[in-house]
Amino acid sequence: MTQWRRVGAWVSGLRVRLVLAFALLGVITTVAVASGSYFQARNVILQQAQDAAVMSLTDQLTKVYPIAQLPPNQDDLELLAQRLSDRESFAVVVYRDMRAQGGSEITDPLTPELRQKVRDGRIAWQRVSLAGQPALLIGTQLALDRPDGTSRPSGVEVYSVRNLVPEQQSIDQLATRAWLTGGLSLVLAVLLALLSARGVLRPVRDLGRAARRLGEGDLSTRLTVRGADELADVARTFNDTAGTLERQVGELRRLESDARRFVADVSHELRTPLAAMTAVTDVLDEEAEHLPGDAGRAARLVSQETQNLTQLVNDLIEISRFDSGTARLALDDVDVAAAVTATLRIRGWLERVRTELPPGVVARLDPRRLDVIVANLVGNAFRHGAEPVSVRLRADPDWVTIEVADRGPGLDPQVLPHVFDRLYKADTARTRSEGSGLGLAISWENARLHRHGERRGSLVAGNGTHGGAVFTLRLPRETADTGGAP
Amino acid sequence: MTGRRTGRALLASGLLLTLLATGCGVRPSAVITGRPPISGPAQGTWVYLVAQGELVLVLRPVNADPSPAAALSLLAAGPQENERAQGFTSDVPAGLDPVTVTAGAGRSGDLTVRANIAAQALSAHAADQIICTTVAAAAQVSAANTATTVAIVGSDGARGPRACPIR
Repeated sequence: MTQWRRVGAWVSGLRVRLVLAFALLGVITTVAVASGSYFQARNVILQQAQDAAVMSLTDQLTKVYPIAQLPPNQDDLELLAQRLSDRESFAVVVYRDMRAQGGSEITDPLTPELRQKVRDGRIAWQRVSLAGQPALLIGTQLALDRPDGTSRPSGVEVYSVRNLVPEQQSIDQLATRAWLTGGLSLVLAVLLALLSARGVLRPVRDLGRAARRLGEGDLSTRLTVRGADELADVARTFNDTAGTLERQVGELRRLESDARRFVADVSHELRTPLAAMTAVTDVLDEEAEHLPGDAGRAARLVSQETQNLTQLVNDLIEISRFDSGTARLALDDVDVAAAVTATLRIRGWLERVRTELPPGVVARLDPRRLDVIVANLVGNAFRHGAEPVSVRLRADPDWVTIEVADRGPGLDPQVLPHVFDRLYKADTARTRSEGSGLGLAISWENARLHRHGERRGSLVAGNGTHGGAVFTLRLPRETADTGGAP
Repeated sequence: MTGRRTGRALLASGLLLTLLATGCGVRPSAVITGRPPISGPAQGTWVYLVAQGELVLVLRPVNADPSPAAALSLLAAGPQENERAQGFTSDVPAGLDPVTVTAGAGRSGDLTVRANIAAQALSAHAADQIICTTVAAAAQVSAANTATTVAIVGSDGARGPRACPIR
């Protein structure tokens, strides 16, 4: 099916169409010219042969006169037939029931319609096929002059049968030459078509390749402009467009990286004062229990918000590492089930989570990032979904898959595409959430950081068949550290 | 679309090829007629006999007397041996000879043949034989032509005038 489609595309391709058009034009022109000249030449050859034969017969017959005896006897007819026969032709002489033939084995070569015309008193001729060979029959009566200028038929009919094989041969030669010319011009037309198709198709192919490269992100792609035709115009326009695109994208990238750098810088700048604040709030926390009323609540609030702010700044720094491409994997051979269990245990969730962790699944990955992802997913499930929360581990030779599911209301289809967006709040009414709003984005980046060849880690959000949100983490089992490409 | 176009192109080239293939070589033709037949002089006296129900011209060796009467005498003598062998006959009675041919006038035709025969009883062939032979011979000595009419006058009256039916 696809092969047929490919053949169809090839057939309707520019090259084939050009070749066909050229070939058709060549064939039609050649056929018209060759057949025209062929028919004309053939008619001329036959006309000349006929005229010459008629003339020659007339000349020979004038020597028969004056006629002294009528009716002739058989011997007279035989003699006349012999006299009129030569290498190229033979004669048939007819008088009433008598008939004499000079040479040739062919019996009765005369056609009834020719005899009728001759008897009606005309010189007549006809081309016929005798024993498979073309021949010319010429017939005339011998008439007798009268003193008043009129003539009377004598009743003697003379027919000359002339072989047309030499004419046939020269006509066949003409035909052969016509075929040869046609074939040559066809070959020439096809060659010309291929040549011009190449001339047209090469720039088109170049243009296609350049457009594909541009589409793949190579904005520095440019075409070499050759000549001054329409295709060169297209190439020039392409170059202009690519140039504009490159400038604008470069500008956008610069703005974006500026913004990111600003966020990173701000985050770093906030770290030092935050560290100092954390130290102070630690002291405040200890003192809060002894502080009365509002002062104690305020101290605890400041401590809590400082912690949140620290978390946000840390997350921002993490994100900016992904953005700048400096995030690196610290790869290790990890027993995935053990790592997940450790993650849950550390956070005290082991009793609340239904786990399905087959032992012995060893994968090469970054354990810290796996911990971040799993902790984030399970934490989200507790916060936004409903228990029971389940964690399932599956593995095949290429992939490790961890599924975190809850039995909550699930994810709104409108939210689904934005789940991994930064600082995206699903619930617009709730302006302050407990998380930083960057957790899923960081998890997503972490998953994608794991890659091996064509395989690349992924994190997908969806809804389970029995309700509740399902997050599926998929990591390649063998991860190669390819650097911090985002 | 492309298929239909290709099909049309194939049809057109096929037609052309067929035309070319059928038109090749030397084809048989219909009968082509040219000018009137070759004509030349005849030596001898023209006499009309009958063969297979129609008038036929025969030539007799040149006679010292080219007059119509001499030609009619030859006619009255009937077919010769070789002519009879080829199936030639004559309806003219031997009693035609002696005969006179005179230039007639007005109603009796251009020429008048007088003989001691029963002119009314002559068959149509016999009358035509006499008329045609007379005209042919007269043409040698005078200005008789195809339109010349001949009247035959016998013992029982005149017949004709009439022109030779062979033109």
